[in-house]
Amino acid sequence: MSETVELALKTLESQLNQPLETALEACARCGICAEACHYYRAEPKVEHIPAFRAEQLRSVYRHEHDFLSRLFPIWTRSKKLDESTLANLTEIAFSQCTLCRRCTVNCPLGVDTPLMMRAIRAMASAAGTAPEILVMLADAAIEKGKDPSFYKEMFLEQIKEMEEQLRDITGDPNAAIPVEKQGAKILYVPLAGAHTILPPAVVFNAAQEDWTLSIFEAANYGVFLADMKRAREVAKRIVDEANRLGVKEIVIAECGHAYASYRWDVPNWFAGEFDFKVRSLIEVLAEYIQEGKIQVDPTAIPEGVTYHDSCNLARNGGLIEEPRYVLSKITSDFREMTPSKAEAICCGGGGGLVALAEYADRRIAAGKPKADQIKNTGARVVVAACENCRLQIGDLNEHYNLDVRITALTDLVVRAMRLPKPLPGTEAEHLFEGEKVAVTDK
Amino acid sequence: MLIFQLLALAGLIAGLYGITLRYAETKRRVLPTDKSPIKGNISHGITYAFTKGMMPWAKESTRIHMIAYLRGIGFHVGIFTAIGAVIVSPFWTYLPSFLFVTLFWVLTVGAVLGAAGGIMRIAEHNLRGLSLPDDHFAVWLTTLFIMAAGLAVVDKAFVIPMYIISTITFVYIPLGKIRHCLYFFFSRIFFGKFFGRRAVFPHPAVVK
Repeated sequence: MSETVELALKTLESQLNQPLETALEACARCGICAEACHYYRAEPKVEHIPAFRAEQLRSVYRHEHDFLSRLFPIWTRSKKLDESTLANLTEIAFSQCTLCRRCTVNCPLGVDTPLMMRAIRAMASAAGTAPEILVMLADAAIEKGKDPSFYKEMFLEQIKEMEEQLRDITGDPNAAIPVEKQGAKILYVPLAGAHTILPPAVVFNAAQEDWTLSIFEAANYGVFLADMKRAREVAKRIVDEANRLGVKEIVIAECGHAYASYRWDVPNWFAGEFDFKVRSLIEVLAEYIQEGKIQVDPTAIPEGVTYHDSCNLARNGGLIEEPRYVLSKITSDFREMTPSKAEAICCGGGGGLVALAEYADRRIAAGKPKADQIKNTGARVVVAACENCRLQIGDLNEHYNLDVRITALTDLVVRAMRLPKPLPGTEAEHLFEGEKVAVTDK
Repeated sequence: MLIFQLLALAGLIAGLYGITLRYAETKRRVLPTDKSPIKGNISHGITYAFTKGMMPWAKESTRIHMIAYLRGIGFHVGIFTAIGAVIVSPFWTYLPSFLFVTLFWVLTVGAVLGAAGGIMRIAEHNLRGLSLPDDHFAVWLTTLFIMAAGLAVVDKAFVIPMYIISTITFVYIPLGKIRHCLYFFFSRIFFGKFFGRRAVFPHPAVVK
């Protein structure tokens, strides 16, 4: 047995807890999960049935753990893990499953297939067969956490420029983007790029929030790798920052996997050190509108608007009504996709797929059901509260000629706040163009 | 007769022992504790998983495959009825006759639905691709088991075959695919805990 295979098997053993063993044992192979998967919907073949994918890991598990399979491997098609099987498993887990959990919701037994795909990802990460780009991105984030001084000066310069823009947009000379403010109530963790800093800054300033900006980004590629060591190290940067600043709450930018991991997983990784409330920016927006902390114009967005439920936010995160509440206050023509909410179809960009150029064709093909859904709504604007979903829907827009604009929820809220100037470089700016005259009249 | 009854009893004990071992083995594994603050309600989630969440209209998959799902439900009703019938078989003489007629029809329907499942596994492209020899064997064994029990309740000539098939079925439960009957409960509990905690199922239609 090669060292790679040995490491992978060792990792499988270490992952084998009650939920994983249950997922490995419970499947009746009824095939009812087929249409739940966007890969199968886009290209109906046996290999795209979630149960079939899971079977590839089960065959290895049975070889190690099942009495009958050891006696008669042919009876359950069990097989010994070797390098070629590991390569096949790796390919399946990283390119044919976005970990959206739609199959789990649709399984009569509730089999958690993504849990098995995560186990494979963990095996591949430990064995060194996981996609290199994800490893590099995770490691770069870890390095940044070790010595942030290297880029901090440049970051602060950029924030200064953004502050100027902020004052320009809001017309408020005191508007600010505080960084590393000791004792602030909220630590807002953005993604890489001004588009996830400036719009929330507008909102926080309008709500007169006591907030500070994190110097790190929320994305965690260790999560996609299912590499607990790396994922924990990436998260530790923000946990340490929050502890150092003494904040009460961490607010995560519009990002599916970052929200799901910080809200539901990170508290388990840092037992005893993690005493913060974690919310998504979406929840904060809903709260501000509900409590009248920000004023929005209910007629601000007259175009047909639809909302794409990120799997990590909705089905895996429980954020289902919050974005709809916000949209109900700023749009006059909201069009729900069918199905939506906990039954929403994955766009195909989750699980780190957007970062994996080698699987781009597969990703675009698997996004066809989502493209059809969007087209069927007839909406002109697609709101997605997750960066990876926005990138994927952007690609689908181009590939399937959807002719829609894709925007973050915060951008639309800022647009509905009727500020003197639009947000630069956002889709909302394009939407804003059409009504500039009306706004100037106001 | 007594020999065959004892044989079936031994099979039942062996099956239960095997399932208990499986249960103990799984329970011995780590159960991750979740320290994230609860948004929904775990017990409501578990209740949902075993009630509303099992309804044929609750999931897109069962709405699409309504007939296949109901076939599966009917088949499983047949299996559990057959197990009950075999366990109380030494006391059949004390039971009212109308019960035998009911049992016969429930078991006949169960066996027909089981056979339909067995045929589907061979005839339907996706199911054929997914099925292992274990799956084919399990569905036909349990179908035969239900059929034998159904025939035995109306004709004593089938009682001994029923005990023989019951013995094989009971022994096979922990060894092969049929043991998913145990993991069904684990799986639905974990489903309820996961989605209940996150307020996804059941899902409150208001912003808190």
